[in-house]
Amino acid sequence: MTPASPAGRAARPARPHIIVFLAPAILVYTAVMIVPLFETLRLSVFRSVANADTFVGWANFGALFFDDRWSHGFWNALRNNVIFFCIQMVQNPIGIGLAALLALPRLRGSAFYRTAIFMPTLLSFVIVGFGWKLILSPLWGVAPSLLGAVGLKFLFAPYLGRENSALITLGLISVWQYVGVPMMLCYAALISIPDELIDAAEIDGIVGIEQFFKIKLPLIWPTVGMISILTFVGNFNAFDLIYVTQGALAGPNYSTDILGTLLYRTFFGYQLQLGDPNMGATVATMMFLIILAGVCIYLFAVQRRLSRYQF
Amino acid sequence: MTRNEAASVPPIALELIGITKQFGRTDVLTGIDLAVDEGDFVVFVGPSGCGKSTLLRIIAGLEDQTAGNLRIAGASADGVPPAKRGIGMVFQSYALYPHLDVAGNMSLALKREGIPRDEIARRLNAAAEMLELAPLLKRKPSALSGGQRQRVAIGRAIVRQPKLFLFDEPLSNLDAALRVNTRIEIANLHRVLGTTMIYVTHDQTEAMTLADKIVVLYEGKIQQAGRPIDLYDTPANVFVAGFIGSPKMNFVGGDEARRAGAAMLGVRPEHLSITTGDARWTGVVRHAERLGSDTFLYVQTQTAGELTVRVVGKTELGVGDSVGLVPLPGMLHRFDDRGVRLP
Amino acid sequence: MSRRTIAAHAALIAYTAVALLPVLFIVMNSLKSRRAIFATPLALPGPGTFDLVGYTTVLASGGFGTYFTNSLIVTLLSLAGILAFGSMAAFALAEYRFRLNTLTGLYLMLGIMIPIRLGTVGILELMVGSHLVNTLTALILVYIASGLPIAVFVLTEFMRTISDDLKNAGRVDGLSEYEIFYWLALPLVRPALSTVAVFTMIPIWNDLWFPLILAPGDSTRTVTLGAQQFIGQYVTNWNAVLAALSLSILPVVVLYLLFSKNLIRGITAGAVK
Repeated sequence: MTPASPAGRAARPARPHIIVFLAPAILVYTAVMIVPLFETLRLSVFRSVANADTFVGWANFGALFFDDRWSHGFWNALRNNVIFFCIQMVQNPIGIGLAALLALPRLRGSAFYRTAIFMPTLLSFVIVGFGWKLILSPLWGVAPSLLGAVGLKFLFAPYLGRENSALITLGLISVWQYVGVPMMLCYAALISIPDELIDAAEIDGIVGIEQFFKIKLPLIWPTVGMISILTFVGNFNAFDLIYVTQGALAGPNYSTDILGTLLYRTFFGYQLQLGDPNMGATVATMMFLIILAGVCIYLFAVQRRLSRYQF
Repeated sequence: MTRNEAASVPPIALELIGITKQFGRTDVLTGIDLAVDEGDFVVFVGPSGCGKSTLLRIIAGLEDQTAGNLRIAGASADGVPPAKRGIGMVFQSYALYPHLDVAGNMSLALKREGIPRDEIARRLNAAAEMLELAPLLKRKPSALSGGQRQRVAIGRAIVRQPKLFLFDEPLSNLDAALRVNTRIEIANLHRVLGTTMIYVTHDQTEAMTLADKIVVLYEGKIQQAGRPIDLYDTPANVFVAGFIGSPKMNFVGGDEARRAGAAMLGVRPEHLSITTGDARWTGVVRHAERLGSDTFLYVQTQTAGELTVRVVGKTELGVGDSVGLVPLPGMLHRFDDRGVRLP
Repeated sequence: MSRRTIAAHAALIAYTAVALLPVLFIVMNSLKSRRAIFATPLALPGPGTFDLVGYTTVLASGGFGTYFTNSLIVTLLSLAGILAFGSMAAFALAEYRFRLNTLTGLYLMLGIMIPIRLGTVGILELMVGSHLVNTLTALILVYIASGLPIAVFVLTEFMRTISDDLKNAGRVDGLSEYEIFYWLALPLVRPALSTVAVFTMIPIWNDLWFPLILAPGDSTRTVTLGAQQFIGQYVTNWNAVLAALSLSILPVVVLYLLFSKNLIRGITAGAVK
């Protein structure tokens, strides 16, 4: 019996099973996710010199924003993150569009399409990264031959090797990989719209694309909103794809460096650069604050206007 | 047809010629032939799975028939999309657009057709008044009661001024008291608008009270079509006889029936009278249901199985009493071994 | 078929091609000789071009067996932890009214918005302190922690739909709360459990970050990390690279095709609710 149980009140019998049910999850979660997060936040306001931690307040952040040693990397990575995110947002309309097609009544082969289009999502970054690197490689010749087959050979260039196209290319590869997720979630939301509602729309003469925009889309806005915010958060996790294709240095010339790769290098060092846990923590804290800001804006400005419809 | 002849015959609002529908290998509807006069209230009635909803959806254009032709107001409607058939439909679950308010629900289709705004407003207000929806125009469906949603669904169909109204079991989701009221409202609606109405239900009471013409469907075929009272008085087969009328008609088979020259006899509970004299069948009351207005006695007879008898008002008779029963003259139906009525 | 349907199919086929062709190219070319890979990359492997040299190189280099087992252990145990702890917490949150219910729920679910990687330094310190560096246990703990929020989120919703009457009938029959959880609630949320399993299993199997940071040693390497380092080594040996990639793809695809129906049913089961 645990006398400190939150359920233990004078009038009610103690309910230890509540604690038992909740304890494992809360313990693991707190120890491995929450506490380390606070540790990161703590490190960002300290500096360790020869194993002594000194409290430095905002100094680390100042260095990150303004000190040339760190700020170039930081602002570059931040800018790239924004670009990367914008490209990723392309993924949601495509996913929704595919879901809309798949959710059409009496569409034959729907299961086959779904299975096929979802497959890239299963592949590891290693496969996706290297696979595309090979396909786009000027040495091999698959991409030029394919483009040549449709008469677009002039479009080919070593995209991943060029500063001004590498990031965009990686963004599109990421879209290729993850379109399956918004597709599946929107598909599930679309098929939960009762058939009779669609019938009524057909009888009212609201069909085809107009039906999608006037009837179906408004009813799945909550799902679209959730996918958008998850894309936003997931954006800050992006590291693996760039690490695999361009290495931790996020070349060419840091043009594909995003906050995830910057964080890795800053924490652990890479080749010539020494790792600095405090600055790394500062980068991580900045990422955390940006995510927090984004989520708060979403929850308070957007989520409230989206009502979930009960059918 | 000369002009004089044409004027005296009501125009045909809907014609079904040999409509057949198969889903995969299953026959859902077989050879449906029907003509509906303009202004009629026709009810498709039958048990679950008889194909009545499928037939309605074919008329609406939400399904295509496998074979056969469909004509609406004289013109072929085969393959014509639902919006162009000039129909309005009321669904069992009302199917209101949850994200639009009542006014939005009722005007969406009109806006799409490009009807000018003042005309839309005119029609909207006329329908709202007829259905007492005026105070609810700004509400969303989630804020309405079942009966109110029902009326909005009807309103949405009315404003399109359709040639044909289709109702798909509209009263099934309402509670008993509301069902009776709404039934009367629908009958009133028909009187006021005069539009042809096709109504689908599994409830024979709704059919009997609302219809100008009843079409009884079973296993994908029309069993009988005609005026309610004709179906009641002269059912074409055992199925119709047992389906129409509540409580169900009593059926007697075996030797009793053969003695009367049929494979099956039928007599309605209200057509059996209790006699102290010469009885055709005698038995013991097994169970009595006293409703105040009527009493139903369930009598286990010696030769005719269990028979239900209706007594008007109250009776002293109860469980365990012996009774003698005799059918009213001319009220004994006879059916052959295929279940078809014998004259 | 109406024009609309034809257009829809066209769009879907086009995108399916985009989705599948890259994978097909890799597998196709992994079975060709080096000359053929460069000469005719678009052609299917034929009698003149068929060559398994890539595969023999990969399989000879060894280690992949261990890597595969490691990934399997980590993924399965993490999944077990997530489903077990997550469903227990979800059951408690959905079933019992207690003062901190809403707060606890929010606490657990706010992890959905926080990438666990941000706490990496703290996690590393924790693992160093518990002597868990370069162990699979470290990875398992991390993945359980990161998978719990979404699991609790999805499972709580499903747990809420279990009828109270059913649970009360169990109580009247003398079942303990634990028995009600295990025998009544858990079987009823099976579709949700498969949805959660699918969504958490894929990122765990494919993760690079934590294996790289917490368990890069040879004996604890996961197959994803192993593949990445292997390919990094053999970068100019196209046969080996393509073969390694194909080998990584094959198990996933086979499993996926076997379970795709259940997988999709799991994801869309929520919709049916």
